Amino acid sequence: MSDNGGRACKGDAAIAFEQVDKEINGRIVLDSVSFSVGYGETLCILGRSGAGKSVTLKLMIGLLKADSGRVLVEGKDMATLDEDGLAKVRRKMGFLFQGAALLDSFSLSQNLALPLHRLDRGKSPDEIKRAVEETLRQVGLGKDGEKMPSALSGGMQKRAGLARALVLRPEILLADEPTSALDRITAGEIDDLLMKVKAERPTTMVIVTHDIHGARKIGDKFAVFDQGRLLGFGTPQELESKQDNRLLQEFISER
Amino acid sequence: MLGSAFDAIGRVTLFGAKALRDAWSPPFEGQYLLIQLYQIGVGSFLLIVAAGFALGVVMTLHTRSTLVQFGATAALPAVQSLAFFVEIGPLVTALLMAGRVGAGIGAQLANMRATEQIDAIETLSVDSFKLLVVTRVIACTIMLPLLTLFTDATGILGGFISVHMTSHLSWTLYLQRAFEGVTLADFIPPILKTAVFGYLIATISCFYGYTTNEGSDGVRKAATKSVVISSLVVILADVILVKCIFFLFPESAI
Repeated sequence: MSDNGGRACKGDAAIAFEQVDKEINGRIVLDSVSFSVGYGETLCILGRSGAGKSVTLKLMIGLLKADSGRVLVEGKDMATLDEDGLAKVRRKMGFLFQGAALLDSFSLSQNLALPLHRLDRGKSPDEIKRAVEETLRQVGLGKDGEKMPSALSGGMQKRAGLARALVLRPEILLADEPTSALDRITAGEIDDLLMKVKAERPTTMVIVTHDIHGARKIGDKFAVFDQGRLLGFGTPQELESKQDNRLLQEFISER
Repeated sequence: MLGSAFDAIGRVTLFGAKALRDAWSPPFEGQYLLIQLYQIGVGSFLLIVAAGFALGVVMTLHTRSTLVQFGATAALPAVQSLAFFVEIGPLVTALLMAGRVGAGIGAQLANMRATEQIDAIETLSVDSFKLLVVTRVIACTIMLPLLTLFTDATGILGGFISVHMTSHLSWTLYLQRAFEGVTLADFIPPILKTAVFGYLIATISCFYGYTTNEGSDGVRKAATKSVVISSLVVILADVILVKCIFFLFPESAI
């Protein structure tokens, strides 16, 4: 990774997995997985349920640790970082959980303000309020800031979760099934939002999804997982050229 | 079985020690602490007041029938106040809080774990232990003694109303007799004892809520274990603390 003022160039690895193994409750979830995501790239992770996709995201943000191998984010090994080091890396990352994981005792605005209060200590309460309102507007929830998460529909919760992931203007965005359990129109809106974020500022994205249509719209590269193993990795065109791998073709086929 | 019990005791002890240690280092999560103080304190107020009052009435009815046999009904207010200050107030408050707050904390934290809310807090570089556990432990430790004061006060009030209905004893005379034999040693140590109860209830409930990760079944287990184990521990701790109080304040061990 090059180091030019803390921001590497497109083409370097923002995230790299090196021979990563992970076992949970006696089940091998990741088996010797290696790949890398360049700065500004969008990687879509595809695969069956239970194939290790969500675990891959949690390893990237340090919620889980690899049993062996290395997970590098901007060149830093996530397993060796202390709490301060982890906080510094996470400061640059946003994470959208599959179920949005909004704090249910906080209003939407409070959910978004929480990281700003902690991590943007230079910001005044007015600035924080403005940042929260602007981010909520960006995801189409400008008028819903005072609502509690339980008062929102599934799609709105996903958008609110995305807003919380984006409020710190992260350099790396990790999203776990941002369009799952949503109708086609709402799913399309979420995909458009992700594309809009990327168009506004260079953001590295890793998106776990089952929606191949959306993945083709926003993904630069695909990683296809099957039973903890990396079945295929590359651009959609590169993967399409591997016609002999039927399972891989099934995952990336739009039919 | 015995091994897992010792393992659990060890883990809860370390968990509680971490909460004590982290309570003294910033950030202090003042806003969230205020929310917890409100939810634990104000939220339990009606329950505590109603229970204290009812116990006061019932206890007087029972004690009166016994004291009548010995011609000692004049001692009723003193018996009532001493019983409430020394044991009934602290223990009943702690057990009620173990039920209400313990179950609430256990279920809420287990649900937050199951729905990835705790993971979400971690990804925001916020220390979830300090935000969720330390604030609850502090709030419960502060609120138990305050709520015990209300149990004591409403217990004595309930006792007075019960006595007044049968013997028309005046409020002034009742209070005078109630506080005649009460010393600070009868009042302060038991109140302080409840701070320990509060710490134990919150630590145990937070432990079972925060460390579980078994979905909705985990929520049920965490709520049940929080109530059962914290109630049991409160009663066991009471035995030890009463011994300590007798050792430190021999005048209260008549």
